[in-house]
Amino acid sequence: MSINRYMFGLFFALTFLLILNQLVIENSVMFFVIVTLLLFCFGYYFLILEKSSISSSSAKEPQIPDIDNELIHNVVFELQQFLQQEIQVIEAELNRTKLLIEEAVCGMSNSFKDMQSLTDEQQSMIHQLINNSHSFAGGEGTLEDFVMDSDKTLDDFVNVIVNTSKQSLETMNYTDEMVTQFDGIFNILSQVESLASQTNLLALNAAIEAARAGDAGRGFAVVANEVRSLSVDSTELNQEIRNEINQAKEIIANLRQSVEIMASADMTSTLEAKDKMSVMMKHVDKLNQYTNSSVDKLSNLSPKLTDAVATGVRSLQFEDLTRQSLHSLELNVESILSISKVLADFENKPSSDVHQQLISLKDKCQAVYQETHLAESKRSVKQLNMDEGDIDLF
Amino acid sequence: MTVNSSLHSVSNQLVISIDERFDFSLHQQFRDCYSQVHQKGLEYILDLSKTKYMDSSALGMILLLKDHVEMYASTLTIQNPSETVSKILEIAQFHRLMTIK
Repeated sequence: MSINRYMFGLFFALTFLLILNQLVIENSVMFFVIVTLLLFCFGYYFLILEKSSISSSSAKEPQIPDIDNELIHNVVFELQQFLQQEIQVIEAELNRTKLLIEEAVCGMSNSFKDMQSLTDEQQSMIHQLINNSHSFAGGEGTLEDFVMDSDKTLDDFVNVIVNTSKQSLETMNYTDEMVTQFDGIFNILSQVESLASQTNLLALNAAIEAARAGDAGRGFAVVANEVRSLSVDSTELNQEIRNEINQAKEIIANLRQSVEIMASADMTSTLEAKDKMSVMMKHVDKLNQYTNSSVDKLSNLSPKLTDAVATGVRSLQFEDLTRQSLHSLELNVESILSISKVLADFENKPSSDVHQQLISLKDKCQAVYQETHLAESKRSVKQLNMDEGDIDLF
Repeated sequence: MTVNSSLHSVSNQLVISIDERFDFSLHQQFRDCYSQVHQKGLEYILDLSKTKYMDSSALGMILLLKDHVEMYASTLTIQNPSETVSKILEIAQFHRLMTIK
């Protein structure tokens, strides 16, 4: 730089001298000397320029490689560290995911199988229950039979009541006829009584006539007295007969009361019982219908359950797809890992080797990219959802 | 409580009507309605339209009437029973033995 300034100063001085010479001194020899010196200056100046440009251009190569090599090495190192760490994390997570899915699917699959066998058990138990409900413990009859038997028994009892009533009433008829007989007897009794009283009167008359006849009628008076006492006895006997018959009538009155009670059974409670019976029968009918329809529904449910379980098991096949996805991700991680390895080999070497290493790194990246791209297009499991296509097992 | 009966010679019917309560107390009157009727081929009509209560003695009485009716080759019809009375007749299965209108 100092040389440059020196040359500049020299150049100005020479120019000044030239002008001076031309204007004042006008010495041609001086003129030629100055011009030659100027030419020397120019020549030298250009030489210097060329040298500096060459040196600067050649000085670039040794200068910049020195700085970039350091930087490149640092950058590559950092990059490699970073990649290493990320790869580790990704691999760890991939494995964890795989494990989680495996465990979850295993659990779910077992659960489905258990559900199926439990529902089968349930089904057979329900069938048994229904069969049992149709017959009682001894297997001797159904609820229906029982209700019908009870109904028939009730009818039989009603029959008994009605017949008892009828018989009782017939008995009453006979007793009524008996009372009529008694009344007939009373009638005759009264006649007998009037006979007795007439006889009494006659005997009295006879006694009077006998008294009038004096001694001749004494014998007749005795007879008359006897007749009188006979008629009195007769009257007494009549009274006794009357009493007996009255007693009989009283007994018959009691009989009538007894029969009345026997014949008059209230039918209301029987009516209610019969109503309850028919309600019960309807319930039993409904129960039977409901049981039958339930059995039908249950039989329909069973295959549906099996279908549902099968669908569940089929859906678990997502595990395969997921596993394939994770596996292919692992391949991608490996290719990143290979690049990381190349970066790890990157050494702090002189300029040409660094250049070479960079080129080989670029080539390696390209190669890995091609591989991955090919693998990706080949991937047979390109599915967006579960319903497409078949499953390829790895 | 009374029993009324009337004999219609024109239509050959003997109609016996019962009041509200058909029970044991009527048995004598009831019997008197038909016991003296010895006509053959008569139509006996038992009118229960006013009857609200019937006990088993009434059923017995009807059965006795039926016996009498059959003895004289006649028919027995029970007329206009109320719902309760009808149910009682049903329990006793009288609809199998006679006509109920």
